[in-house]
Amino acid sequence: MIAFMLGYARVVDAVNRRIGRVMMWGLFAMMGILLWSSISKTFFLPSLWTLEMAQFAMVTYYILGGPYSIQLGSNVRMDLFYHNWSLRKKAWFDACTVLFLIFYLGVLFYGGLGSLAYSLGYWGDEPVTFFTGLVTGAEDVGRTERSSTAWRPVIWPIKTIMVVGFFLMLLQAISELFKDIARLNGAEVPA
Amino acid sequence: SGTIKWRMQTYAGPSLAAHVIDPAIEMFNKIAGDRMQIELFYADQLVPTGELFRAMQKGTIDAVQSDDDSMASPTDVTVFGGYFPFASRYSLDVPVLFNQYGLNEIWDEEYSAVGVKHISAGAWDPCHFATKDPIRSLADLKGKRVFTFPTAGRFLSQFGVVPVTLPWEDIEVAVQTGELDGIAWSGITEDYTVGWADVTNYFLTNNISGAWAGSFFANMDRWNELPEDLQTLFRVCCDQSHYYRQWWYWGGEASLRVDGTKMQLTSIPDAEWAQVEEAALKFWDEIAAESPTKAKVVEIFKKYNADMAKAGRPYRYG
Amino acid sequence: MSQEYIALFMFGAMMVMLLTGQRVFGAIGAVGAIAALALWGTGGQDIPFSAAMKLMKWYPLLTLPMFIFMGYVLSESRLADDLYRMFHVWMGPVNGGLAIGTIALMVLVSAMNGLSVAGMAIGATIALPELLRRGYDKTMVTGVIQAGSSLGILVPPSVVLVLYAMIARQPVGQLWLAGVVPGLMMAALFICYIWLRCRLQPELGPAMKDAGDVPRAEKMRLLWAGALPLMIFAAMMVPFVNGWTSLVESSAIGALAALVASVLKRRMTWAIFETCTKQTLAISCMFMWIILAALGFGAVFDGLGAVKAIDNLFTDQLGLDPWVILILMQLSFILMGTFLDDTAMLVIVAPLYVPLVKVLGFDLIWYGVLYTITTQIAYMTPPFGYNLFLMRAMAPPEVSLNDIYRSIIPFVGIMVVALALIMAFPQIALWLPQTIYGQ
Ligand code: NA
Ligand code: NA
Repeated sequence: MIAFMLGYARVVDAVNRRIGRVMMWGLFAMMGILLWSSISKTFFLPSLWTLEMAQFAMVTYYILGGPYSIQLGSNVRMDLFYHNWSLRKKAWFDACTVLFLIFYLGVLFYGGLGSLAYSLGYWGDEPVTFFTGLVTGAEDVGRTERSSTAWRPVIWPIKTIMVVGFFLMLLQAISELFKDIARLNGAEVPA
Repeated sequence: SGTIKWRMQTYAGPSLAAHVIDPAIEMFNKIAGDRMQIELFYADQLVPTGELFRAMQKGTIDAVQSDDDSMASPTDVTVFGGYFPFASRYSLDVPVLFNQYGLNEIWDEEYSAVGVKHISAGAWDPCHFATKDPIRSLADLKGKRVFTFPTAGRFLSQFGVVPVTLPWEDIEVAVQTGELDGIAWSGITEDYTVGWADVTNYFLTNNISGAWAGSFFANMDRWNELPEDLQTLFRVCCDQSHYYRQWWYWGGEASLRVDGTKMQLTSIPDAEWAQVEEAALKFWDEIAAESPTKAKVVEIFKKYNADMAKAGRPYRYG
Repeated sequence: MSQEYIALFMFGAMMVMLLTGQRVFGAIGAVGAIAALALWGTGGQDIPFSAAMKLMKWYPLLTLPMFIFMGYVLSESRLADDLYRMFHVWMGPVNGGLAIGTIALMVLVSAMNGLSVAGMAIGATIALPELLRRGYDKTMVTGVIQAGSSLGILVPPSVVLVLYAMIARQPVGQLWLAGVVPGLMMAALFICYIWLRCRLQPELGPAMKDAGDVPRAEKMRLLWAGALPLMIFAAMMVPFVNGWTSLVESSAIGALAALVASVLKRRMTWAIFETCTKQTLAISCMFMWIILAALGFGAVFDGLGAVKAIDNLFTDQLGLDPWVILILMQLSFILMGTFLDDTAMLVIVAPLYVPLVKVLGFDLIWYGVLYTITTQIAYMTPPFGYNLFLMRAMAPPEVSLNDIYRSIIPFVGIMVVALALIMAFPQIALWLPQTIYGQ
């Protein structure tokens, strides 16, 4: 069982690390869009799409980069007590409280799924049924949601990115749980 | 206790809502008492405006005050909400179109199909430009980054306007931080009420629409659960809100043009502005070609405006 | 459940969750999600996600990664080394001169980055070892660095003021300008104190004997180094204040300018570049996820009527004088600053307090400055403070936690005086924005 957990953590960590390493360069995509925005505004006509595109880039950056940031340990904790605990005690507490994090990410993921289904024209309450229906052909894409701006991009691509990101974050949180359980069982797990 | 509780979100921020919605909701709560209480939330307070329609359809929010365009309703009538260019000249045009020219029935059908109750449509103010730099000709519109309604923005972009959509509450700040050069979202009453007059310098007296059209909506199940007398009370309070806005804007627009000190008035000559009106008629036909429902609504606008022209003064001058 | 109990439950549950040491965003987000599912009614499960859509539309957040990147380029590429050398040769011959130079360095560093951590890192790595080597008193030195780094979020650009601006719906430009005079005033007060103290007790900050040996040409060359941050600052602020570029565009220009400067000074290597990029992702994600969770928490808290309960408590039930309420709020920040980090505190508590401050009739720009200084005090005061622990982690071993605790006393005193001055004379903060933006 512990071997399975460690195997899972190895795979998930590796995948999320690769994605995060790509996402970190997204900083320059945002910078580029904003610089283009100021250049086009100064020398030509302002572009319709820059601000919204930069917002999409920002969302992609922080949601898909999220799992890697967990690996880097950059998510602050309130270390009033935590700071002074032994590694074992930390692992105990984390293994319990990470369930709350997993719950939160699950709610985010499910809400995202519903919103994504809406952006593809499904107005019911069962997004999972809708997506399985899309695969089997029982459901069709309906009226696609568009951003209420003059540029009017379709919304489903960014919502898809968000849903995928929340899912990867969920996998990463489960990986953290498994690593803590492994630690409590005496396995050597690098932090 | 059995008090029915509704959460309602308006697309207006608190300063504007103090006029256009707060009094109606206070009145409703006072009369309904222990039987029902509506809690009002302002622009983007619970859910962002972009998610407002879905939230109401699903029941996260029970009722909404908004125009169809801003909340991006997934219906064929959405483009006509807010400011459909040159569809109406006065704020009384809107209730006449809905009550006497058949728009109510079309709206009811469209919204019922997406699980939302369309309760009542009403008018707000005309759509003018408030800008940092003066607009005295169509050429001055070129390259201006302006906060406006989606459909109005689509229409205005042919004159070089760059429409920008941001959360309502961020507009004043966005003008100051340079994200926007101006606002084409309201008349002068609102510019003063919500603080936009403090960050812009000029007000263009030409407008692209004489009256905003927007509505009260509710989640269909929540609406059907209400006893009939509370439904009636809700409608009465909506009408009160429509009525308040009729005189508040009509009087406000005139008095601020005459006595306002924060913005300087400019105008584009009528002959030049006629190009915009012509472009609007072309825009109407483009929209009508998109679907039979849209064609029906455009037909109604044409009929109505022709009737008003025939009726002559004071309905239409020249 | 009544609104009061909901407020109490949500706040209490959040505090307990935070105490367990779980990641701040997880703790806050989970409490919001649980309350939404349990108490909202139909459709409550969608609120946490709709917060993500709300965050997407908050365009000033785009400045976060830019300013964070700027700070990293500055500290990782050691751009500040020359600056420090400049103050070293120019100020060294005076008693306490190096400490005064360190405060001046912090002012310049503050103008190039948006967080206080970068100032702390630069102060601790560049200034601290040098000051100790030159025989400066260690309790003087660590206090100087902590106090100086607190200027980072008061002098523009400031990430904390960007976040505050979004929550209070106040113009960022004005808030930034409002921070300038109080920031410089605080720096001046620090400098006066150091100068006076070292005049009375020269052994705390002995004058350098060998500073006169530096040739004049070298001195002038170093003075030129001082122009660098001013140029980065100008590249960013001039187009912004003139309205040529927007805030978010300016932040990208600032980030690019810092990068270009470090390349031109031949301080940028691929390894440093990669570290800066990676750290920017890590810290931006940290901020964004906390904001995401806090926005969801806030919407649920608000929609369940808990905000109204807090309003009632402060204004109706306690029936206090506005100034008393204001001071109570400041004290609660100092209390919470012992265990919450500044982003979380801002995104959770500010939405509760800001509307109240407005109702009480205070100016929200002015309050932004008060808020910023208060949180900085909170992070410096024992027993627990974010900055205290950072200092502990960065300082050499001969500096004990006790030294650090003692070192901040006079500086916190000065900050309280500054706070009192700004409360008594709001024009200290408001004069500059009103002059520049007033028509
Ligand atoms: Na700064
Ligand atoms: Na403290």
